[in-house]
Amino acid sequence: MIPVLGLVVGLVVGLLLDPSVPIWLQPYLPIAVIAALDAVFGAVRAVLDGIFNDKVFVVSFLSNVVVAAFIVFLGDQLGVGAQLSTGVVVVLGIRIFSNVASIRRHLFKA
Amino acid sequence: MSEPVRSPGDDRNLGSDDNGGTGGNGSAKPRPDASMTLITAVLERPLEPGYQEAADRRTAGGLPAATSTRTVIVVVMAIITGFLFAVAAQSLRPKPTAAATVKSELVSRIEGLQTHGATQEANIVALTRQVHDLEALELAQAGGSDLTAKINTLERQAGIVAVTGPGLTLTLDDAVSSGGNADAGNRPTGGFEAGRVSSADLQVVVNGLWAAGAEAVGINGHRLTSTSAIRFAGQAVIVDFRPLTRPYTVTALGDPDTLRARFEPSFGGVYLAQLTKEFGIQSDLSAGDSLSVPGDPGARLFVAEPLGAPLGNAGAPSVSTATSAPTTPPTTSPAAQGVPTGAETP
Repeated sequence: MIPVLGLVVGLVVGLLLDPSVPIWLQPYLPIAVIAALDAVFGAVRAVLDGIFNDKVFVVSFLSNVVVAAFIVFLGDQLGVGAQLSTGVVVVLGIRIFSNVASIRRHLFKA
Repeated sequence: MSEPVRSPGDDRNLGSDDNGGTGGNGSAKPRPDASMTLITAVLERPLEPGYQEAADRRTAGGLPAATSTRTVIVVVMAIITGFLFAVAAQSLRPKPTAAATVKSELVSRIEGLQTHGATQEANIVALTRQVHDLEALELAQAGGSDLTAKINTLERQAGIVAVTGPGLTLTLDDAVSSGGNADAGNRPTGGFEAGRVSSADLQVVVNGLWAAGAEAVGINGHRLTSTSAIRFAGQAVIVDFRPLTRPYTVTALGDPDTLRARFEPSFGGVYLAQLTKEFGIQSDLSAGDSLSVPGDPGARLFVAEPLGAPLGNAGAPSVSTATSAPTTPPTTSPAAQGVPTGAETP
């Protein structure tokens, strides 16, 4: 429950502060969000599985975001940024779906 | 995709699965999909393997498998995640462009000015009526009641005052095929669509109605006088610098039967029939007993001349017949009513 509160606090702070994102960082935001979602759902599933580990969560979160952003950056340099972004979204999307399906089974037993 | 048979764990146990193609026990024969380890890994092990490994380590060390979710680092991470979501949502949401802002401002200004214009017009009408009443009163006191009748006739012909009476109503509308475009409010493409009512069509029809003996003509509630102009601006029909929207309702006052009998065989009537036949422009001619055409609020005094000998002794010597246009002859002969052209060519 406390992490959820933290999430809400972060949302509110972000909405209130409304910081301006530098233009060079904007292409990485959607990918970062997807990667963060993946890490969050993975953590929720791990909690339900009873194997949650805070260090693993933080490391996976950061590495997901950094690697995803790096792939997009590399793609931009190579001229295939859009395609690599799609690839990252597809891979992370599959993981998100699988994790959410597992969470659903945990919660609803269906 | 074929399910790996030898994996005993169900979906919840995927974290402990083998690492792609490398078999945990070497005796197993290679999986049929061994060449697609990437897809297999993505589909079968969505959870970070690190969780299972860390849990295994902790259980080996005698600790509970899971750590608390309330550690500081988790909460900090949650806050960062929420912040990231909010920032991303806000900065990636499409912002209204400068053009859209300017456009909405222009629209509001146009609407405001239109309302203002309508109010002013109503003011003009009221004031004009007041002036007329005062003039009539003045004339009656001066004993020039015959002049009052003459002024009334002239005013009616000049289109200053509203007129009510029997007449014809002619409704023109775009052809059905092009009607949808006009309804959707698409931007004019610049090309002329054959199925649209053009200003030239309205000019011909209105002139035909004048020639057929109409005493007063109005389009969509705008009085046409001898100085009115029906123009085309882009794809919009403009009457006296006011844009009209379809359908165009032309109201012509006069004896309906005579008007119809004289209009239909005339050039205007034939032209209209052809428009309907060739281009599918919808037109409907119907008679009415009590049609009304408003006065033209834009009428101004162009010419004033003394009429005959000065009246009596107390009358104003400068009593004049005011007409809104030099082209309307100050005469009441019925023949003159058909002459003025109701429309200028652009």
